[in-house]
Amino acid sequence: MLAELINPYYLQVASFVLINIILGISIYITLSTGQLSLASAGFMGIGAYTSALLTLNFDLPIIVGVLAGTLMAGLFGVIIGIPTLRLKGVYLAIVTLGFGEVIRVIFVNWESLTKGAVGLSGIPHMGREILKTLKGFGFDPQVLGLQNNQFIFMTIFLLLLFITIGIIQFFRRQNSSRVGRAFAAIKLDEQAAESMGINITYYKVLAFAQGALVAGFAGTLFAHVLAYISPADFAYHRAVEILIFAVFGGSEVIWGPVFGALFLTVMPEVLRFISEYRYMIYGLVIIIMMAVRPQGLIDVNIINWIKTKVGKRGQKHGTSNTKNL
Amino acid sequence: MRKQFKKIIQLTTLSSLLVLTACGGNEPAGDQDAQTEGGAVKADIGVVSYISGPGAAYGEAITNGLKLAQEEINSNGEVEINLVVEDSAGKQDQALTAAQKLMNSENVTAIIGPTLSTEMNVVGPEADINGVPIMGTSTTAEGIPQIGEYVFRNSLPEALAIPAAIDKAMEKYDAKKVAILYGNDDVFTKSGFDTMKAAAEEKGLEILTIETFQKGQSDYNAQLTKIKGLNPDLILASALYNEGAVIMGQARKMGIDVPFVGGNGFNSPEVINIAGDAANGLIVATPWYGEKDDQKVQDFVTKYEEEYGKKPDQFAAQAYDALYIMAEALKNAGEADRDAVRDALAEIQGFNGILGEFSFDEEGDVVMEPTVLVIEGGAFKVFE
Amino acid sequence: MLIEQLINGITLGSIYAIVALGFTLVFGVLGIINMAHGEIFMFGAFIGVVVTASFQGPLWLAFLAAIAVTAVMGYLLERFALRPLRSKQGVSHLAPLISTIGVSIFLENLSHHLFGAGNHPFRASFAEISFQIGSITVYLVQIVIFVISILLMYSLSFWLGKTKAGKALRATAENLETASLLGVDVKRTITMTVIIASAMGGIAGILVGMAFNSVTPQMGLSIGLKGLAIIILGGMGNVKGAMVGGLILGLAETFIVVYGDSGYKDAIAFAAIIIILLIRPQGLFGQKISA
Repeated sequence: MLAELINPYYLQVASFVLINIILGISIYITLSTGQLSLASAGFMGIGAYTSALLTLNFDLPIIVGVLAGTLMAGLFGVIIGIPTLRLKGVYLAIVTLGFGEVIRVIFVNWESLTKGAVGLSGIPHMGREILKTLKGFGFDPQVLGLQNNQFIFMTIFLLLLFITIGIIQFFRRQNSSRVGRAFAAIKLDEQAAESMGINITYYKVLAFAQGALVAGFAGTLFAHVLAYISPADFAYHRAVEILIFAVFGGSEVIWGPVFGALFLTVMPEVLRFISEYRYMIYGLVIIIMMAVRPQGLIDVNIINWIKTKVGKRGQKHGTSNTKNL
Repeated sequence: MRKQFKKIIQLTTLSSLLVLTACGGNEPAGDQDAQTEGGAVKADIGVVSYISGPGAAYGEAITNGLKLAQEEINSNGEVEINLVVEDSAGKQDQALTAAQKLMNSENVTAIIGPTLSTEMNVVGPEADINGVPIMGTSTTAEGIPQIGEYVFRNSLPEALAIPAAIDKAMEKYDAKKVAILYGNDDVFTKSGFDTMKAAAEEKGLEILTIETFQKGQSDYNAQLTKIKGLNPDLILASALYNEGAVIMGQARKMGIDVPFVGGNGFNSPEVINIAGDAANGLIVATPWYGEKDDQKVQDFVTKYEEEYGKKPDQFAAQAYDALYIMAEALKNAGEADRDAVRDALAEIQGFNGILGEFSFDEEGDVVMEPTVLVIEGGAFKVFE
Repeated sequence: MLIEQLINGITLGSIYAIVALGFTLVFGVLGIINMAHGEIFMFGAFIGVVVTASFQGPLWLAFLAAIAVTAVMGYLLERFALRPLRSKQGVSHLAPLISTIGVSIFLENLSHHLFGAGNHPFRASFAEISFQIGSITVYLVQIVIFVISILLMYSLSFWLGKTKAGKALRATAENLETASLLGVDVKRTITMTVIIASAMGGIAGILVGMAFNSVTPQMGLSIGLKGLAIIILGGMGNVKGAMVGGLILGLAETFIVVYGDSGYKDAIAFAAIIIILLIRPQGLFGQKISA
């Protein structure tokens, strides 16, 4: 029964949903200080290429590659972040857009390292490597009644799910911390925030670097789930796609980009006939959202509404629960 | 804190459940819904093709070719093929999900496609692990059939086509010096260039310059002026026909009249449509020659033109042959079983299709003789 | 060879300049970066193809049709993607940027469906006229493009500086509310600006089609991003800066092919954006802005 439910196709879609959620979060973090960065695709590429090259050329374990790729993207985030933060609004958006394109052009031209447009293939696959390791310990997925590929995609899915929950949880906590309040103050009014003694440069670079770090991390996961990357994966269109997660879902609360990524990744799968018009629909979604609901579908009010709904129900259960405890 | 965490867990399980149910249509994962009935082998064949996006023209030609072959095969009665077509939009991740859907939800016996070599690099290993035979009809890059024993192709690889074309051109024009021009941000033209460069070096040609261009570019004058100044005997151009035709147009306009040698992607009747007279002097090696004096070929061309209103290109022709090869394998296997079909595919030798005589080597790669063509007076002719 | 390359560079640069003029006009008045400008340019080119190739129409008709269609597109862009944002209170200054990104994605994919993914030839006998000066061939189109770009630049400067409508435009650019208090029809002025800028994109599109004989759906994005780089290079909202910036980029792209690696041709524009904004954010010709 379990074995029949675990369809690698669904797990595959779910895995891409999770990676996209992480990407959506990356743009959300920088947006939470009021900065729009279009470099997410570039940072994603840096993470993906770093990790892929390390694991391919030096036979390092995937986990080392993932860490190195994530840190590398974060490092670039700091390097790019410090000088660009003098720029505001649209200027920042354009510089980051330019940065993303420069990164792509470098991937295309640095052939001795990246193999250019042909891309890197045969990157160690997360699920397959785990299975290999477990088999080394004498484990056989048949014990669970699963086929090899079912097991592979199951582990990837669970791993990504776990990671995504961790990331969401981290940023939820950060939001209600000193850092989160500083971010919100900067977004609201930079000058007022500064006069209140908030070190805006520090917090803006922090947000930018966190965004880069998370995007790079998503990139490393992308590389080891797909086992193949090429410069075209990290082009302008990817940056726009990530932007749409936040625009559609919302950028006020973390659930906004999470919902945006979930909905927009699943929709073309469910409605395959739409797939051909996917980007036209994306374009329309952006225009309509900006005109009608610029804060995105999910905003603070919706979250509060859900909270009160869930809260009421939770209270009812809560009373009975305390008795049991 | 714990309560919060619980909520998150609930939400995520809810959302993942949503994903699972949203994907819908959970058919029972029965092994093969295709069986042998009254002699005809029934099989579902999955197709992953580039149907939407900038390369949609390729996907269109491929699916057209497949559909034409399907009609004929089914009316023959020995094999009954049902095509399940999925779009990959030219993207690896979408190609992979499409293939997963075909392998796991649709339970197809075999897959034809995907269109691009990049996509095959991702989909191939997965199909191999699942034990689903997969055959590329347009994947010409290095190393595709070597992915695994379930991976095949019937498209003439660049490594066979380009050297053949260069050889003939060298002989005829006594060429010593060449200039190379290629699109460096496209996987197809980049891998074509790698083969081209290797072939030119091996044959001892002097490479005067290597120039690149990028997608969306419409002005090639700077590169071409530079090439013109170096006076090459031949220009090797790894470009898709869309860009290639424009490049030839601009080259002829500025007075470059040396022949061009192109790769697989350059080979299309569209070159003549776009570039007109400027297309004269393009040399390509191809598995497909539409003017061939062969009844099969001519029937195909007429039927295709009737059905779709244009001349078939090599993508359509290769797809057409691919389905026939698949049908042959199904017939020989006698049942729609994935392993049996794989073995039957591997044994195909001397298959006679519209592309000529075709065999798989032990790796699942192509064994065939390419024809070298040249555009002369606004039409493709055999290059002698 | 050098002179031929110089001509190539100036031709390319003039086209970039015309595209950048459209960008700079919208930015100068509205403070908005119109990311859809490249796609409007591409539509202009396609209208040219449709008129000359599909309907065998004359070139002047193609020009008129392209200008008309892109002007309408400019109106629609303003009406549906920009105006709704203006009337709203408390909308982030990023909203118009994102909204026009939406328009550009929509138009790019719409053109895939309307015209197909392929490359469309643009056949005009006019494009074949050439002169022989010594060993160098110069095409009439190349001269026309250069002249049109200069003309557009001067008429735009004149219009902005000397005419009443231009003054209204600049007043609007200075301060929307004050201008409206002083009796400027702000709505009309803004709409007109976007329409004129779009029509200039259409003209550039048809010129590219004629000069290079190639029109594809992807050309909008590529040239749009370059136009963006140019207005940053020349100073946002600066008409002469757009012209000079365009020529600089065109020549730089040509000469990196001559003396360097053509693979990094596309990177010049973006590297220029980054460097300029970090070192001299007001651009080469911009005045110091107090942020």
